[in-house]
Amino acid sequence: MSAIVARPRPLSSQVPLALSRVAWYALCVLLAISMLLPLVWMVSISLKSNGDIQQLPPSFFPKEFDWQNYVIGPAKINFFRLLLNTAIVTLLSTIGSVVSSMIVAYGLSRISFPGRKLWFGIIAFSIFVPPVIGLIPLQQLYINLGLIDTFVPLILPAFLASPIFVYLARQYFLSIPRYIDESAMLDGASHWRIFTRIMVPLTRPAWITIAILAFQFSWNDYLNPLIYLQSSDNFTLAIGMASFIGDHAGDSAYNYYMATNLLYMLPPLALFFLAQRYFMEGLGALGTTGK
Amino acid sequence: MSTLNPPLVADARQAEPRPGPGARPRRRRWRTTLTGYLFIAPGIAGFLLLVLYPAITSLYHSFTKWNGLTPAIWNGLDNYVYMFTKDPVFWPSLGATAYYVLLTVPASMVAGLLLALLVNRGLRGVRVFRTIFYLPVVLPAVAVLTLWKYIYEPTYGLANEVLHLLHLPTSMWLGDAHVAMPAVVIVNIWGVGGTMIIFLAGLQSVPQELYEAAMLDGAGAVRRFIRITLPMMGPILVLQLVLQLNGAFQTFTQVAVLTKGGPGTATNLLMYKIYNDGFADFISAPQLGYATAEVWVLFVIIMVVTAVLLRVSTRYTYEGDAA
Repeated sequence: MSAIVARPRPLSSQVPLALSRVAWYALCVLLAISMLLPLVWMVSISLKSNGDIQQLPPSFFPKEFDWQNYVIGPAKINFFRLLLNTAIVTLLSTIGSVVSSMIVAYGLSRISFPGRKLWFGIIAFSIFVPPVIGLIPLQQLYINLGLIDTFVPLILPAFLASPIFVYLARQYFLSIPRYIDESAMLDGASHWRIFTRIMVPLTRPAWITIAILAFQFSWNDYLNPLIYLQSSDNFTLAIGMASFIGDHAGDSAYNYYMATNLLYMLPPLALFFLAQRYFMEGLGALGTTGK
Repeated sequence: MSTLNPPLVADARQAEPRPGPGARPRRRRWRTTLTGYLFIAPGIAGFLLLVLYPAITSLYHSFTKWNGLTPAIWNGLDNYVYMFTKDPVFWPSLGATAYYVLLTVPASMVAGLLLALLVNRGLRGVRVFRTIFYLPVVLPAVAVLTLWKYIYEPTYGLANEVLHLLHLPTSMWLGDAHVAMPAVVIVNIWGVGGTMIIFLAGLQSVPQELYEAAMLDGAGAVRRFIRITLPMMGPILVLQLVLQLNGAFQTFTQVAVLTKGGPGTATNLLMYKIYNDGFADFISAPQLGYATAEVWVLFVIIMVVTAVLLRVSTRYTYEGDAA
C-alpha cells in the first residue's frame, strides 16, 4: 500500500487553513509548549526533595536536585524485578505478533485455496469484535488450565495472529507483484521458502510497524496483567506503577513516583526516537487500511 | 470447523468432470489447500479461542448464577431483570459511559483532524512539531494517568497552578463530580497525536490533481475542503470513528487509575463496573454470571453502533478502488 510511505508534500494549497507563516509558527509553538509542559513538570517533580514538594505555593522548578529519588523510588516497587517481567512478556508478545500475523497474512494473500475468502472475511470481521467479550471466559479458562499467575495468558494471544495486524500485513503483501513468487514457484520453491527467503525481506516496513505496535500494546497493557497476575513478584510495571500511590499513600511519595514513572517511560521513548519513522508512518498506514 | 467444509466439497465436485490427467493435479491442489490452511492456522485458532469460544460460553453464562467456583446454575433472565430494574449502579453507569463516549470521541476526532490539517504543511520545522504532538502517544497509559492524577491534585498540582497564574478560578478536578469526566477526557486529548497521524496519512493520500483542478475552476479553500478533502477522507474518518467508539465504550484504565469510578458514580464507566462485579469483589461476592450479562449488554451496544455506522457510511462516502 502506497500510503505506508507518507511523503511530505511541498508547501501547497491543499490545506484550507488560511494561516500566514507567522501565525502558523506561533500556533504550533504554543501547542507544543502546552503538550510538553506536563512532561517538563514531571521531570521537575522527580528531582524535588521531600520538603520541596510540600512547599506552598509550589515552585515550578526544584530548589536543589535530589537525584536520590531515582534510587529510592524504584526500590519501593521492586522496579527491576518488574522491569524484567515486563521485558519478558513484551519481547515474547512482540515476536509472537510479528511471526503469527505475517504467516497468516501470507496465507491469505499469496496462496489460493478454497475457503480463503471466507477466513479472510472472518478475520476482518474480528477486528470489530470488542475484546471485552473474552474477559471472563478466558480468565476462567486460564484458571482451569492452571495458567493463572503465569505469563502464558499475556503471551499466548500474541501468537494467534491479531486480526488488525493480519489486515495490515495482508495489505502490504498484496502490493508485491505476483510474478515474484510465480517465478520462484517455477524454480520449485515451496511456499515456506518463498515466505522466509523472499517475502520477509521485502515486507520489512510492515513487520517493523507490527513489532512496534505490538511492543507498545504489551508494554502499556494494564487490564490483562491486572486480571491474570496475582503475586507481586510476577507483576508487570503497569501494575506496579498503578499500585504505587495506593500502597505508599500521602503526597510525599510523588517525587519518588515521578522519578520511577520516568524510568518506566524510558524504553518506549528510546524506541520511539530510534524508529520514529516507523512509529508514525506505521500508525498512518494502519489508519488508512480501511480505504 | 463445519464452516470450512462446504467450499472444499463444492470445489472437488467442480473438478470432477474436467478432462485430463486426474490424479496429479488434484493431489497438488490438496497439497496447496493443506499448505494454505497450515499458514492461516494461527488465525483460525485465534478466532476459535479468542472470539467464538468466549462469545458462546459467555452468552450461556449470562443466563446463570455463577461464581466461578461451583457450577453455574441456570436462572433465565434474572441477571438482566436485576440489571435493568434493581441494580442501583447500572443506569448511572450506563449514563456515565454514554456521556464519556459522546464527549471523548467527537473531541478527539475534531482535535485530531484540526491538528492534522495544521501539520500538513511543508514549512521548515513541521517534522519537529509532528514529533512533539505525537510524543504523548508513545508513553505508557498508566504512566500518563498517574502523572495527570498529580497534575489534577488541587493543592500541589500543575493544573491549578496554571489556572492561578492566569487569574482563573481553580477547581477540585477529579474530586468534583461535574469536572471529573471532562478532566478524564482532557487526558485523552493530550494523546490525540495518534489520531492526528492517521488523519495526516489520509490527507496526504488525496490525489493532488483534484485540488489543482478545483483551483482552476476557482474553488476556494473551504469549498475544496468540503468538496474534496472530506469525501476523499470519508472511509478513513468512518473507520477511525468506529474504532474510537469501540475503544471508548471499553475504556477501563483511565478511570481505574484516575478516579476509581468516583466521585460517587460520576465516572463509573460500564467497563469499570464489569471489572468490579466480576473480579474485584471476587473473594467476597463473586458474581461472574451477572458480570457476564453486563458484558453482553455492552457487547450488543458496541456491535449495534458499529453496524449502524458502517451501514450508513457505505451509503454516503466515496468508495475508492476497493482493496
